[in-house]
Amino acid sequence: MRKQNNNSQPNIRGDGWRGEIEEIISGASGGFLFGIPLLYTMEVWFIGSYVQPPVLLCILGVTFVIILLLNRIEGFRPQESETLFGAIAETFETIAIGMTCAMLMLVILQRIDVQTPLTEILGKIVFEGVPFSLGVAFSRSLLSGDAEVSFKNRNQTESRYSGKHKIIWQDTLADFVATLIGALFIAFSIAPTDEVVVLAASASPLWLLIIIAASMLISYGIVFAASFTNYSERRQQQGLFQSPQSETALSYLISLVAGLLMLWFFQKVSLNDPWFIWLRYGIVLSLPASIGGAAGRLAV
Amino acid sequence: MKQQKPQNSSQRSFVEKVSLTISLSIVSLIVVLVCYTWFTGDNNPPVLSVVTATEIREIEQQYYVPFTVSNSGGMTAESVEVTAKLILKNGDIETGRQQMDFLSRQEQRNGEFIFGSNPKQGKLTVRVASYRLP
Repeated sequence: MRKQNNNSQPNIRGDGWRGEIEEIISGASGGFLFGIPLLYTMEVWFIGSYVQPPVLLCILGVTFVIILLLNRIEGFRPQESETLFGAIAETFETIAIGMTCAMLMLVILQRIDVQTPLTEILGKIVFEGVPFSLGVAFSRSLLSGDAEVSFKNRNQTESRYSGKHKIIWQDTLADFVATLIGALFIAFSIAPTDEVVVLAASASPLWLLIIIAASMLISYGIVFAASFTNYSERRQQQGLFQSPQSETALSYLISLVAGLLMLWFFQKVSLNDPWFIWLRYGIVLSLPASIGGAAGRLAV
Repeated sequence: MKQQKPQNSSQRSFVEKVSLTISLSIVSLIVVLVCYTWFTGDNNPPVLSVVTATEIREIEQQYYVPFTVSNSGGMTAESVEVTAKLILKNGDIETGRQQMDFLSRQEQRNGEFIFGSNPKQGKLTVRVASYRLP
């Protein structure tokens, strides 16, 4: 699918800082969606720990070529670059966004810190940065989808209902279900893994708070700050998810509860475990769950 | 349905030039650092050592002996195994074993061995028993 001429996206070159930031957040959101599952994969951390610098350079080179090819037909910017130079420039931007997001997540999950050797830091950033960069390049396909069409269809459907309360509860239920499905889609394959336990074991209360903040910030970024959904259309929506702040907070809670249920389902926590174990594991899993939940709401 | 995306007919704006400059800086920094670690790194095998701290914690009649294992070699070691053996004066022996998934070059990891008897009243030997190359 080539980049589409979407009239609902006003970001044309020269729009200034706001448009540029929106495009970057859009790209980063796609990166988070595509990269988060591999971020919760221990084997990728291990590979990053021992891989040799020449191999890293090769991986960077191959990634550059693949993303350059992708950018000729896709890319995180809605405009098509006329020249090869434009596509190369977009490729540098894509990789930079991907690597930066991967580095931030590795810091938040304490996979790299000030004591980590430089070779290991670079290995982990490059290996985790590749799926993030691919996600940035795919961001428009991953997240723009048919969101606008679905919204319009639903708005038309809504006009058939006269009762305001019915619309409110219908919207609330739709968002609730979408968040739940999205959270399940991303976090269900992560919940049974040992990575959740490993990450929770090394997280102090302060880091757990940072993970909560990051979960809500990324979730907010995907749904509201990114340009692939129309902010005003989501604002017109009724229901308990009406304001961006309440939507982000409520969706996070849904993702947290969904994450806890998944952990219980996979026997990672039991009723005999103390409450803080549930909380720790739940917060660690709520990061991918909330990102999935945000993506799910885009599809509503 | 394939649609052409709008062509970027104009030159990159100032804002986009700033984005590109920052992006180039980030990617260049990563490449430079990878090259730096390539040229300055040595390819010698791992050199593993372990030291124990002098301060031993005693909690509920258990003795916690902190240790630090480090890799001063050039390559990463996998499955690093650290063993501890405490021989008491009465001839009793207590052992402990710890395994670490990875130890990169210049990396240190900390841990503790736990004994039921006071290590100061016996002979404690802590050593790195084995590793493998990834």
